[in-house]
Amino acid sequence: MASEDELNLLVIVMDVNPIWWGQQAQREPEFTLSKCLDAVMVMGNSHMAMTTTNRLAVISSHFQDSHFLYPCKNWTGGDGAWDGTMDEAPYCGDGKYELLSVANNVVAEEMKRVMSTTEMKGNSTDTLLAGSLAKALCYIHRMTKELEAGQEMKSRILVIKTAEDCARQYMNFMNVIFAAQKQNILIDACVLDSDSGLLQQACDITGGLYLKIPQKIALAQYLLWVFLPDLEQRPQLVLPPPVHVDYRAACFCHRNLIEIGYVCSVCLSSWGALSDPVHTGEWGGPRANLLHGLCLLTFILLMLGFLPGVQLVEGVFDVHHDGLVVILQT
Amino acid sequence: MDEEPERAKRWEGGYERTWEVLKEDEFGSLKATVEEILFQSKRKRALESHGQVRLGMMRHLYVVIDSSRTMEDMDLRPNRLKATLKLMEAFVEEYFDQNPISQVGLITTKNKRAEKLTELAGNPKKHLAALKKARDAACVGEPSLYNSLNLAMQTLKHMPGHTSREIVVIFSSLTTCDPANIYELIKTLKSLKIRVSVIGLSAEVRVCTVLTRETGGTYHVCLDESHFKELLMFHVKPPPANAQSECSLIRMGRCAHVCFSQTLKHSQTHLDSTSEVGLSLGGYFCPQCHAKHTELPVECKICGLTLVSAPHLARSFHHLFPLEAFRETPLEELPADRFCHACQGKLKDKIVFTCPFCSGVFCTECDLFIHDSLHCCPSCINSQHSN
Repeated sequence: MASEDELNLLVIVMDVNPIWWGQQAQREPEFTLSKCLDAVMVMGNSHMAMTTTNRLAVISSHFQDSHFLYPCKNWTGGDGAWDGTMDEAPYCGDGKYELLSVANNVVAEEMKRVMSTTEMKGNSTDTLLAGSLAKALCYIHRMTKELEAGQEMKSRILVIKTAEDCARQYMNFMNVIFAAQKQNILIDACVLDSDSGLLQQACDITGGLYLKIPQKIALAQYLLWVFLPDLEQRPQLVLPPPVHVDYRAACFCHRNLIEIGYVCSVCLSSWGALSDPVHTGEWGGPRANLLHGLCLLTFILLMLGFLPGVQLVEGVFDVHHDGLVVILQT
Repeated sequence: MDEEPERAKRWEGGYERTWEVLKEDEFGSLKATVEEILFQSKRKRALESHGQVRLGMMRHLYVVIDSSRTMEDMDLRPNRLKATLKLMEAFVEEYFDQNPISQVGLITTKNKRAEKLTELAGNPKKHLAALKKARDAACVGEPSLYNSLNLAMQTLKHMPGHTSREIVVIFSSLTTCDPANIYELIKTLKSLKIRVSVIGLSAEVRVCTVLTRETGGTYHVCLDESHFKELLMFHVKPPPANAQSECSLIRMGRCAHVCFSQTLKHSQTHLDSTSEVGLSLGGYFCPQCHAKHTELPVECKICGLTLVSAPHLARSFHHLFPLEAFRETPLEELPADRFCHACQGKLKDKIVFTCPFCSGVFCTECDLFIHDSLHCCPSCINSQHSN
């Protein structure tokens, strides 16, 4: 029996990439975005119905921006600014039903608004998942600061992912994961389509659950079974086993997955063989970090080469005494 | 070696009217001024950045803790030794959080001798256990700066050249008892490129000033407990690397955690400890010799390969790509009813922060959170042009 002083905050991050959902509507017409949203709101209502002190927040993750669907009380049009404070309904018997229906209505309205008013700008179609997680963490941080004395809050984030991983977000993603781990925030992942290496790492590091759903129509059942119980109840249930995460990195020179390799002591990039010409030159002083930053960035892009279909750049680095020359080969 | 920098001592300057800093507002309360002072000190910490300098990522650090008679003084609660040990536990945890592939070792000095509490190791558990046990130790005698530095130097001089070699001394006594000339030792430390920093608990001692000046470290004397914590946490961030330190490639193996349901194996790390049961179900296997270990990062006892996992290396990335400080703007310049882009809370402070790249507006709490823990701007990564 949770005491009145312990709050549980669940933040649901939904991937609403229109490209993927549009293709999904053609592949499987019986599972559309509205059905997915229904399942998510069933989960949200159940979470709020478990204890009066449970709280909910829902964020939609687009390729343009991330929006808070709930809580969103008053909003003025135009720049979409709104008052983020929670509804002041008292937590009594009658108020519970209103809270749930208010939540459902607000989420549905906001989702309609997001999907209809967002314009295509630029040509990237990858979901900005790292950005949504960063906003979720800042929201959780603010909620923790606004607690009264004597109250504690436990938070977790549930990510519902549809589209593929974006390799460019690796660095930001890792920063967000470590920040979540430091604040003891779990990240759970429910993956609808293809496996996501980033989310597997996130769940492994923060201690959450990763699940790839075999049947999308049964989303509500999976959410209620696996992701509704919070951290204290999970050891008492039989839940899906943890996934084996492949932490091997692709080496810089040949893009093979290596288990044993060489790591540069300055920029922490991985190399497969010692005969590379990189470290035969001299590194300049103040620019060394910038040059290493460049090679590190390309390394990060190469590192996710084990993801199927991600072919970004093949490069050979050749360092001379006065600078860094990158020879790109396609 | 002995050129004194031109620096006036405190008593040589004029009188400082410290009471003028505090100003009362119209209700006679000092709250606003106190908050302003705290806020400035928080921001100062966030703004310290090294710029485009190579950082020493793999660090070997020895912490020398003075356990002499003066540590029983009660000016830090409950006494200096217990306060120091408590702060050291927080330091060790924070250190391994920010520098996952570095190592730390502990040395205590009392009774004119120096003794190693723990060897250089990359895992915090041993250090935390040793620090807890050291709370019951008695503080007797005089410290010996020479002996403790010598003991640390014996191990550090064998460390490879691409790592940074550091010693931090927490020194509370005003005297030291050395068997030989300490200035010779300072010359040796300088030639071995070992950087020594000192945190004083009593007063400034000249030999420490010379020591830190020659080896390139810092010397501070703490004012109170929170200042002591700040000085100690300053050493958690990786320091700028020495100009002559080489960069080289270090052979490492990457491991993933493997769980077995049926077979039990002895872990190599447990074979050395006598207090724990040595069987465990899962662990990390060295890719070269398949020996089992329970924790990472570690050096494989059988084949000597350094074992890490990819998140350990990824933790240090934010030092290589530091986040720029945000610009301060007064609230009046923005249109009314604006909300913080990160936490969606209403902006109530007088000063808000703007990211120079994406012009996202953030409140004070979010700014601190972003710079301390998150290390990336939420609105920059929410736009398509981020990388």
